[in-house]
Amino acid sequence: MAKKTNMPSNAGRRRVLKTGAAAGALALSAPFIRPSWAATGPIKIGMVIPFTGATGAYGPEMEKAAKLVVKAINDGGGLLGGRPVELIIEDSETNPTAGAAATKKLLDLNDVSCIIGYWGSPIAMASKQLLIDAKKVMMVSCAANPVTEQPHNGLIWRFQAKSTQWGPAGAKIMKQRGYKNIAVLAQQNPFILPMIDPFIEEFEKGGGKVTQNLTYLPEQPSYRAEVEKVFGPEPDAVFIPGLLTDFTSIVKEVYRGGFDSKICTLSIAGDANGRFLKNVGAEVAEGIDHYQPAPPLTSPNYKKFIQMMGEPEGTVFLFAGNAFDQMWVAALAMEKAGTDVSADWTKMVPEVSNPPGAMTGDGMEALKMIRAGEKVAYVGAGADCDFNDMGDQLNRSFLHRVIKDGKNEYVQTIS
Amino acid sequence: MAQLILNGVVTGLIVALPAIALSLTFAILKFPNFAIGAMLTFAAYIAWALNTLAGVPLVAAAALTLVLFPAVTLICDSGVFRPLRNRGPITLMVASMGLSFVLENVCRLVFGNDARNFDIPLSRPLRYAGLRINYEQIVAAGVAVAALILVYLILLRSPLGRAMRAVADNPDLAAARGIDDGRVIKATWILAGVLIAASSVLVGMDRAIDPQMGWNYIIVCFAAAVVGGMGSPAGAVVGALGMGIIGELATLVVDPNYRAGVAFLAIALVLLIRPHGLFGRREIKK
Amino acid sequence: MIGYLTTILALVSIAALIAFALNVQWGMCGMVNFGLAGFVALGAYVTALITLQGWGTIPAVAAAVVACAVMGALVSLISVRLSEDYLAIVTLGFGEVIRLVTLNEAWLTGGAMGLPGIPRPLIDVIGDDQYETFYLVGCIAVVACVFAVLEITTRAPFGRALRAVRDDDLVASSLGKDVLILRIKAFALGGAITGLAGAMQAFQFSYIDPSQFTPIMTAYAFMAVIAGGRGSHRGLILGACSIMFLLEATRFLKDVIDVLDNAQIAAIRLILIGAGLIALLIYRPQGLIPEYRMRAPAGPRGGGDPAPDARRTGADTAKETTHPDYQMTPSPKE
Repeated sequence: MAKKTNMPSNAGRRRVLKTGAAAGALALSAPFIRPSWAATGPIKIGMVIPFTGATGAYGPEMEKAAKLVVKAINDGGGLLGGRPVELIIEDSETNPTAGAAATKKLLDLNDVSCIIGYWGSPIAMASKQLLIDAKKVMMVSCAANPVTEQPHNGLIWRFQAKSTQWGPAGAKIMKQRGYKNIAVLAQQNPFILPMIDPFIEEFEKGGGKVTQNLTYLPEQPSYRAEVEKVFGPEPDAVFIPGLLTDFTSIVKEVYRGGFDSKICTLSIAGDANGRFLKNVGAEVAEGIDHYQPAPPLTSPNYKKFIQMMGEPEGTVFLFAGNAFDQMWVAALAMEKAGTDVSADWTKMVPEVSNPPGAMTGDGMEALKMIRAGEKVAYVGAGADCDFNDMGDQLNRSFLHRVIKDGKNEYVQTIS
Repeated sequence: MAQLILNGVVTGLIVALPAIALSLTFAILKFPNFAIGAMLTFAAYIAWALNTLAGVPLVAAAALTLVLFPAVTLICDSGVFRPLRNRGPITLMVASMGLSFVLENVCRLVFGNDARNFDIPLSRPLRYAGLRINYEQIVAAGVAVAALILVYLILLRSPLGRAMRAVADNPDLAAARGIDDGRVIKATWILAGVLIAASSVLVGMDRAIDPQMGWNYIIVCFAAAVVGGMGSPAGAVVGALGMGIIGELATLVVDPNYRAGVAFLAIALVLLIRPHGLFGRREIKK
Repeated sequence: MIGYLTTILALVSIAALIAFALNVQWGMCGMVNFGLAGFVALGAYVTALITLQGWGTIPAVAAAVVACAVMGALVSLISVRLSEDYLAIVTLGFGEVIRLVTLNEAWLTGGAMGLPGIPRPLIDVIGDDQYETFYLVGCIAVVACVFAVLEITTRAPFGRALRAVRDDDLVASSLGKDVLILRIKAFALGGAITGLAGAMQAFQFSYIDPSQFTPIMTAYAFMAVIAGGRGSHRGLILGACSIMFLLEATRFLKDVIDVLDNAQIAAIRLILIGAGLIALLIYRPQGLIPEYRMRAPAGPRGGGDPAPDARRTGADTAKETTHPDYQMTPSPKE
């Protein structure tokens, strides 16, 4: 803009320069002045999560959490000087093609400012180029390393621990338990596979031995053959990174098969907000270790979050917390940047979430502080929400729990 | 080894029931019913709802499902298959694909995506001569064998069974001899419904119930029915047992992930040697 | 809006190609292929692996087409001795085996992680901004070429011979047609088209993984062929469009219905798709556009509209009506 007005002309060159400068100043200050055309419409945020297909079970809790934030923001008067937030949710059908079509719809038809959610790495992988091309922010809740590996112009933010971070944490737990010979029974899945090598490396560092490393395909009539093969040689313990449905079947099979090896798994399978225990009952689940990236359990804000979600105290959410944080971080970064233009506010994401700054987990309070010009470091319901340059999360600590007498008992936090 | 064979037999017996249902509907209606998986899911949800939501003990819930589910197959028949009766096998097959979308998603709509389990305690296995046998396996084997005997009696010893076999062999001749094929078709769907319902309860005990569950069984069921010879219920049983045992034994040699591949190899071989399956008969070409 | 439409249209072109392939195999030659998704996956993986080696688009696509054609020929060889229903199972098994291989052989296919970063054709020349339009034009051009080739083939003696085989292979062989060769050719031709579709799928997101090639892809192809009218290529394009339209339009359901949550809406969407398919089969069995056919003038049977340029060709019309199994078009009097 400014360059064009600066084109030399014979008459009143100085005046043109002046207008140019003024225009430049206007352009610079535009975000703060908030021209009326921008202030009218709602701020649109898209969300792509699974409601059908193999992972359909994980969508609804994320939807609920994201809607909580939308309600809080809109009840509190909206963003960017009173604009309401509109959340548009699409079903990924656990299918990359459908997820990408949904992404395209949100981008072009709804003209959203960013898209959050993205449970499931294949869907994120199929969709990310669309967001990068459209220069829109993508916030993912999936773990596969390649999602953030290729250059993405600072547009992709991962609210989940990377797969390779999950592996060693499990190995540490199993080492502490004193297991010497263990086996791995892992689901064939882009989120789980990359964690196996770091897991084995970490475990064998302590002198232990991984005697078998088997992957299984989800969605099978039965897992009897796999269980027989892995538990048959009676290892001390078996590491079973899987998802709820297949893990339930496997554990039932192990119990009915009369095997005694201990089990360690991920909390998305071994807890799943209490659904695992409900599925198999206390006796079968007894003694299963499980872990996941730690939410700030002790903070009052996390307790409030669980209350808002309508779940009993002590519930440990993972994906719902991710969705909750994605909404808040997006909202805070927009408020800080003073615009809903993705390319601009994405730079503010570390500004509102990484230290230094006043640590707060209360989104509304953080908004107030940002409006007052203070520096905040948002602490989320799913994680601390600190990011590196790649858009990956820093300092992910893991929460280790064990099932005892039908309850999930806290064991430790591993970093 | 013996353990693997035992496991294979039990897996085979559970699959045998829907495989017979598939084979029966194929014999009478002349089309492969792809909705068999979704029907299994639907029946399992009926049993689950009765068991957990209504609090009926599992045995009673299963019995009620045996009564209720055939009504569902009859409704499916009159809504979907009857209007398409004379349109050829492929049209019916594609319609059954559409039907499976509907059935699966009705379950999802009503019950959500979560994995569900029957309200029964699990138990540790009995040990016998180094083998581990568990309670569910015994129940599954018992129910499956009982169902097989029932089907056998109905098909071979009752007037209805004779009518069914007549229609299966040659519908025109059967019609000429005054057999009401509408009645036979209804009876077929009821029998198929009972078999599917029984297996759905066994499957639900064996694993968790979720809306996707049926898809896992379609390929195995078809494989079993094809190996045995589509349209031959006895063949379906042999096929199911064979597939179960081969599937388990295959894990000794290949990666368990390729189990399904081995099963298909078996099918391809059987079909190359006997194009109509082990027990199938060449249809009379009109 | 435009960008959304271009994406949808690109997806429609892929769906149309798969439907074309199915139509050559099933619609024209009467051989069911339930392993379509496996063929498309094969094409996509061949394309991806070769372009990732830096060998350029054209050799990659050519290799994909050849690989799928050869595989099609091999699979159809099994059909020598099999009836339609059994071929369905063999192809279903083939599709499953391809899926297992792509999932398990991670050293080659990336396994469940998939293959990211597939270079899109001519991206350096065209540039990011115009690429979407260019890609869509490319897709449409490919579909148009395949369409033209198929239209010519259908009207050629080859096409008539295929339909003769479909309608009654005994009669066809007694008329001196080599049924086996015809079947292999048809399956290979269909395979080649799925190879093209696979290549386009690989370039579409420049990322492929096994979950993109599920049986649902095959289901959609069948829906497209049935909706469009078995045998009619124009109908197929329309069919592919309407399936995609149905799939995407149902996304907007939730703007209308407010009381249900998203999981329920998603379920309703798929229920509608299934019910729509069944309704089409029941109420419009000939599809939107019926098969190209050299019609006989309205005779005493009263079947079919009298076409102005109708010419009588024996094998075609006569067989269609004598073989009830394959009679997709009931006469209006029924």
